[in-house]
Amino acid sequence: MFKTLKNFYHKLGSYPWFYKISGKVIPFVGVFSISLIIISSIWGLFFSPTDAVQGDVYRIIYFHVPAVSVSQVIYYSMSVAAAVFLIWRMKMAGVYIKSLAPIGAAFTFIGLLSGAIWGQPTWGTWWVWDARLTSTLVLFLFYLAIIGMQSTFASRKSADTAVSIITLVGVVNLPIVKKSVDWWNTLHQPASISISGESSISSEMLIPLLLSILGAYLFVFFTGLLFMRAEISTREQNKEWFKKLSSNN
Amino acid sequence: MFYFIKILKKEFLIYSRKSSSFISPVVFFLISISLYPIGISNDPGILKNLAPGLIWITVLLSTLISFQNIFSEDYEDGSIELLLASGQNLSLIVLIKIFVNWIFSCLPIIILSVLSVFLLYFPQEGLKPLIISLLIGTPTICLFGALAGALSLGKNSITGPALMLPLSLPVLILGTQAINYSLNGINFSSNILLLTAILVFLLPIILFASVGALKLHFN
Repeated sequence: MFKTLKNFYHKLGSYPWFYKISGKVIPFVGVFSISLIIISSIWGLFFSPTDAVQGDVYRIIYFHVPAVSVSQVIYYSMSVAAAVFLIWRMKMAGVYIKSLAPIGAAFTFIGLLSGAIWGQPTWGTWWVWDARLTSTLVLFLFYLAIIGMQSTFASRKSADTAVSIITLVGVVNLPIVKKSVDWWNTLHQPASISISGESSISSEMLIPLLLSILGAYLFVFFTGLLFMRAEISTREQNKEWFKKLSSNN
Repeated sequence: MFYFIKILKKEFLIYSRKSSSFISPVVFFLISISLYPIGISNDPGILKNLAPGLIWITVLLSTLISFQNIFSEDYEDGSIELLLASGQNLSLIVLIKIFVNWIFSCLPIIILSVLSVFLLYFPQEGLKPLIISLLIGTPTICLFGALAGALSLGKNSITGPALMLPLSLPVLILGTQAINYSLNGINFSSNILLLTAILVFLLPIILFASVGALKLHFN
């Protein structure tokens, strides 16, 4: 078991292997994720019951919650990749960070935007300086700093290292930001879903929500693979294996 | 040990001979502090409430002027390269540089922030938490500045500030909150302890990261 895992990890570091495998996986993941998103959207928007307190407005939850949960998970996964890059100098980790940062930024932005649209009818304001909103905004700023840092270095390796350093410093600082804004101000409703305890949401609403979250994760997987392939092909366009591959097609 | 004392002396000499390094943050601070009453309101009641936040934000922004100084000149004249090649403990050298930069760019501002009592009608009983929170909070900001400066060496881009300001957010929150607590008669020591904890926790991490960032420029 450990040996196959180790083998897989080493294979993951190789551009040709990843390029080949990802090309096979992408169509399945793409179809699956997009159909999941469509199903959960239709289910959530038309078939799930209306909320007793918030009315139909609550249905934006099927976009808001997946986007926000994905945006944080992407950042943490990027920090793992950053550690891998700094410790083992695995080039693929640099590709991962560079490709996933714009996706994470986009999802954070969707989360902020859908939250604002949800906040307008329920809280009566587009934006409040609440703890969760503020820490999501800071997360968005971290993403922007990471994306901005990509272009400041001429050499690819230096840029990857710089970005890994920023990502790691960011992940150390993120819990501090979260806690400090928590003490500062809190208005946002607490999380509706909890893995360990009882969820505060009815099951008819919960199932499409879980489906939409799953769809968002798969969509990140799908776009992440696409972006990573694009990044690999720009980095390796002059290499022998890539020329051979593209001349075959 | 002797080596590091020498570097400390050298840094002090460089900063004290180059007067712009400590005059420009001070000038910036004084100008902005006197602009607030003109731009917002000269009503003492309003200014009094805003003063803690205004002072803290101005301090934060004035460190933006000086954070490039930590490494940029040494980078241009090549002495960083020599330090990297010297085989000495780099994080200690970086720490010395940050410390001296703090003394010359932040300490004068902290002393001058006392002036806000006259200019912003800041209540005198708030001075103690103001000075303490600035004394403990600004080193953390200087650390972030060193990291941002090390990463954006030789480049005039927004990435330095864009990296530094979001990182400084907890310090800003805890610092202004300490002042507001004490003005409302609440014990503010927990905030000061938290600021200290953040400083102690981040110090080794940021030093390590800054050294890594410096090495990037010399492959």
